[in-house]
Amino acid sequence: MILPDTLAGMGPVRATPVWLGRTRVLVVVGKGGVGTSTVAASSALLAAKGGADVLLVAVDGKPGLGPLLGGQPLGPAEQTLRTFTRGGGRVRGRTISPEQAFGDYLELKGFGRLLRRAASAASFDLIAGSTPGMEHLLVLGKIKELDREKAADLIIVDVPPAGHAAPFLRSASALQRAVASGPVRDQADEVSALLADHQRCQCVLVTLPEETPVNEVVELAYDLEDDLGLALAPLVVNACWPERPGLSMSAAAAAKQQHMTLPAATRRALDGVVRFGRARLDSQHEQFARLDEALPLPRVQLPRLPAARLLPAHLDLLASALAAEPIMPQRVSQ
Amino acid sequence: MSTLQSVVHDASLVVTCGPGGVGKTTTAAALALAAARAGRRVIVVTVDPARRLADTLGIDASARSHDPVEVVGATTHPTGSLWAQMLDAESTFDRMIADRAGDEQRVQAILSNPIYRSIAGSLAGAQEYMAIERLHQLWTSGEYDLIVIDTPPSRHAIDLLAAPDRLVTFFSHPVYRVLTVPGRSFARVTNAGSSAFLWAIRRLAGPKVVEDTIEFFRSLSGMEAGLRQRAAETAQILRSEETAFVLVSSPRAEAIDEAVHLAGALRDGGFPLHAMVVNLVHPTPAPLGMEVPADLPPGPLTDQFDLHRELTALVADEAREMNTLRTLADDAALVEVPLLDDVQDLAGLAVLGGHLLSTAG
Repeated sequence: MILPDTLAGMGPVRATPVWLGRTRVLVVVGKGGVGTSTVAASSALLAAKGGADVLLVAVDGKPGLGPLLGGQPLGPAEQTLRTFTRGGGRVRGRTISPEQAFGDYLELKGFGRLLRRAASAASFDLIAGSTPGMEHLLVLGKIKELDREKAADLIIVDVPPAGHAAPFLRSASALQRAVASGPVRDQADEVSALLADHQRCQCVLVTLPEETPVNEVVELAYDLEDDLGLALAPLVVNACWPERPGLSMSAAAAAKQQHMTLPAATRRALDGVVRFGRARLDSQHEQFARLDEALPLPRVQLPRLPAARLLPAHLDLLASALAAEPIMPQRVSQ
Repeated sequence: MSTLQSVVHDASLVVTCGPGGVGKTTTAAALALAAARAGRRVIVVTVDPARRLADTLGIDASARSHDPVEVVGATTHPTGSLWAQMLDAESTFDRMIADRAGDEQRVQAILSNPIYRSIAGSLAGAQEYMAIERLHQLWTSGEYDLIVIDTPPSRHAIDLLAAPDRLVTFFSHPVYRVLTVPGRSFARVTNAGSSAFLWAIRRLAGPKVVEDTIEFFRSLSGMEAGLRQRAAETAQILRSEETAFVLVSSPRAEAIDEAVHLAGALRDGGFPLHAMVVNLVHPTPAPLGMEVPADLPPGPLTDQFDLHRELTALVADEAREMNTLRTLADDAALVEVPLLDDVQDLAGLAVLGGHLLSTAG
């Protein structure tokens, strides 16, 4: 249901898609350069437009997300980035660093001053280094705490990119194996329970319609679902070239259909971009077919924006695209 | 001669760095291939190549090996050859321990320590450090005319370049020093900071972890001096006259922002930045030469006009982003490479190499 937005300056109240509405923690994961942060931010926007109180957590501390959402650069202190009068939703944002999570954890557990001093900045590297996955667990533990305190209707986590997504999410199960008892073990147990709880936590994988990102996301999906029991939300394929049927013909043929004649220079210019556009679409379709084949996940396709630098207005556009009904994969060969 | 042509012909070491997802590894491989075809003996060391590129180079994840493999069919030049090696932080670390820990018993003690096992792969900066460590081994071996090192995607430039320093800091931490004094049991560690530290770990992670930690630090004692020396030597190699840093980006703002940051860090660190490569640049459409009618209804021609308009806007936007980088370039060349189809076989690498070495622009 989409209600008309009658008052200037207020975003529309938008129906939240099922996959976004049914979870409390949404973890956004993908390789470097595929746009996980953009997807995290536009998901936050979409949920808030639907009336949710959203907390966006940048683990990698990408400060740029703040301005993109209309606020200050993200920092360890929480800030409200956007509010929607209609529907009452809002987006708040913050970063969580391991060091900060560690301090909060010690305080929460009531550890004394001595321990806190011993565990101060200087020793942090050693403690984190001496205990496998500790850094990651601290951050996940903090997110679990925020969820427990009901700090928001929805917590969206922008996970560190590149090779770090899997180790990050796997830190809890690795620590469960390495540590038999004590507070770290308790923390690992609780984080594992959160990640595997399909009612509370969902994981959004992000990729591009290109060969290498597709290979990597397929691997990551099986890794996360089989290994960690994570619930996978629809796959987000970012930066898709818009489908344009008109690219299947020459400029002259297209002009004829629309009862126009074009100067030769215009035809040549159009034929050039048509050739380029069709090649992109062909290779994109090939990648969709590979995803159909390899990954039985519904997917949402986000348009490629004709801009090199993302602007706040783009996020609203991407949020609308995220609201679309996910496409079910087609079984090509059977 | 273009800047990258002279790099390929004359440099002894090329370090590629940049954000993730911009074709950094492919660029490293294309430069290495060009050098091999110019008659040099070249090795390219990569961290995390895409599957097809790994296949092309004959290295793949299941067969991580310490030994470089020769890339089949890379060149017919009589003196040229191309070798490739995949870097694996854990196994490079293992090898370093084996080389330096002395007797076999000590080596085994370290390698089987659970704390070591977790540190080897996950210590912050371990991967970056290992790239540097491997570089030192290759450099001193003198077996190659040119070493091309592809670094892990670095959001924070300093990760890579500060890695040797950071590991040395780790080994010279006061807690580490106290722990490695022989003959002291945990109970007798009297330094307040250290015992508090161990107490903290014990409270948080349990006593077994504490024992393993002490054991780990003990077994490493004596290696620190060697590490320090190697870090200092590597720092020199990286700043040598024969070294060229190549910064790789795409024209997208996030990548450019990181590249700008990285370029600054390279300059501050005194590392020789020779070229900036901007991959994945969209082609500039030819001008239409006419006004697009304002009220054109939807249809095939409208699709084509739309694409033309969007690409023209995108290219202008990309040019603006690249200008930011150009103003930082100083003496470094800025090379634009058009969006190419997935470049992952030798033919594709050669095409990319052609763009990289082109004298145009």
